[in-house]
Amino acid sequence: MSNTAKIIIVLTAITLISGAVLALLDSYTRPKIESYRKIQENNAIAEVLPENDRIKEIVQDGYVFYEAYRKNELVGVAFQISGGGYQSELVLMLGVSPDFSRITGLKILSQVETPGLGTKIEKDESNKQDPGWFINQFKGLRTLPSITYVKNAAPSRETEIQAITGATVSSKAVVDILNTHIKKAKAARNIE
Amino acid sequence: MKQKTAIQEFLKGLWDENPVLVSLLGLCPTLAVTVSAINGLAMGLAATFVLLCSAFLVSLLRKVIPNQVRIASYIVIIATFVTIADRFLAAYTPDISKALGPFIPLIIVNCIILGRMEAFASKNGIGRSLLDALGMGAGFTLTLLVLSSIREILGSGTWFGMQLMWPSFAAWKVMVLPPGAFLTLGCMIAAANWINTRRRS
Amino acid sequence: MNLLVIFISAALINNFVLSQFLGICPFVGVSKKIDSAFSMGIAVTFVMVIAAMVTWLIYHLILVPFRLEILEYVAFILVIASLVQLVEMFIRKVSKPLYDALGIFLPLITTNCAILGLALNAVLNDYNITETLFYSIGAGLGFTLALVIMAGIREELELVDIPHSFRGAAITMVIAGSLALAFMGFAGLI
Repeated sequence: MSNTAKIIIVLTAITLISGAVLALLDSYTRPKIESYRKIQENNAIAEVLPENDRIKEIVQDGYVFYEAYRKNELVGVAFQISGGGYQSELVLMLGVSPDFSRITGLKILSQVETPGLGTKIEKDESNKQDPGWFINQFKGLRTLPSITYVKNAAPSRETEIQAITGATVSSKAVVDILNTHIKKAKAARNIE
Repeated sequence: MKQKTAIQEFLKGLWDENPVLVSLLGLCPTLAVTVSAINGLAMGLAATFVLLCSAFLVSLLRKVIPNQVRIASYIVIIATFVTIADRFLAAYTPDISKALGPFIPLIIVNCIILGRMEAFASKNGIGRSLLDALGMGAGFTLTLLVLSSIREILGSGTWFGMQLMWPSFAAWKVMVLPPGAFLTLGCMIAAANWINTRRRS
Repeated sequence: MNLLVIFISAALINNFVLSQFLGICPFVGVSKKIDSAFSMGIAVTFVMVIAAMVTWLIYHLILVPFRLEILEYVAFILVIASLVQLVEMFIRKVSKPLYDALGIFLPLITTNCAILGLALNAVLNDYNITETLFYSIGAGLGFTLALVIMAGIREELELVDIPHSFRGAAITMVIAGSLALAFMGFAGLI
């Protein structure tokens, strides 16, 4: 068998077998990974919304909104938002009041920021009493005209939060993502 | 050259030919994932898995793969096993998968693996290739464990998540940041050099 | 504005070598002389930009539409390996002295984790094609910068008495640590 033929046959065989093995792997693992992601998402939705007795999913203008109802009255809306952080894509689950004027809850779904600095937006190990202090600031925060942040000082307005020292970019990114998406989502739901 | 015994084939990867401290291979993941001991261990085990499977296949097919396409073939084989490892971690241990993040796929270009395929598995029988792979993998994992333990204990006060240092210990934050990684590895390499020089004299 | 942030972030704040730990092997291996460090840096930047663009296209135009994301790693590394091969042949034709100067380190660009890391990151961060372009140029230039600075320092070190155990890779790591510490200062830039 000529050398060229051997080269082609061996390379093709290896690639085909690799492809077949990976296709099999995909069929096993894709559903599992997807279901894990769904569980995380559902947990986050429950966490950011106020008490409710049912949740209705509705798609409007590119956003998937999870509307929470209590005795048939809309009490909150949750939706996933994302944007660029310092060095990674930040994915968050945001819960707001029906008129989007107040945040009912915020949870970080994924981030790969600088360990020990940017990662404090999710969990601040140095704060033993309240490691989730940064993200907890957003609960109850007013959103109009826009959310702002302040450095090295306590927030002075009901639309203000305190940024993490040494992780201003990550903190600012969260605020920017919130402002951008709150505006877009309001438009999608035809709210002024 | 004297033929090594089976045990020697395995042990050489642990110290004499330690892939990180002596051959200076696989430095990227060594520095990046060793922020905590559990991450270092997971990376070491994942790399060892890929090393073993690839060594087996490459050694099995060594007489079949034509010389001109050997590197391309090794790469496809290695990339396939890395994809398997990556998917398994993502499906069954999602937290570790998130922590090790982009460094699992980088096992593909971990010079240790390609290096062993080229230098050993392509020229030796399956048994010896597996021993070599196991030794190199073990050496890599142990080095990662030591480095990540130092960084975690001094940088976070914990080891494998368990509080080790006294409560008022002010952790050396720099240890879990890039400068700390470089410094610690530098000292480890120097220590290994020093020990080896001593042994030779 | 966003493109500038991506560029500066990749080059300085999240420097591929000093803060993301990518491309350490050539960093230790080729950083002894400033000219070879610079040549290596430019060669890597060149490969990075093309590799990032090609892999981006393959991922978004072929893998995703056909639900073949599982082939991402195999496809990307094959693209990079072929690209390095092509670049090698190209440099050999265009400038033989440069080809000789880079020597064995040219094929080793394939196993440069910085390139695969860059390609995977561009997809992970969901950049569009323009952002990927700025990202890869920034990353390549940052890599070159780190390499050249290190080479400059090591050239000076030739004249100094280094403890025996630290000679070679160990002292390079320690210097890299100081450089990494310095580069952390860039964090306040944007």
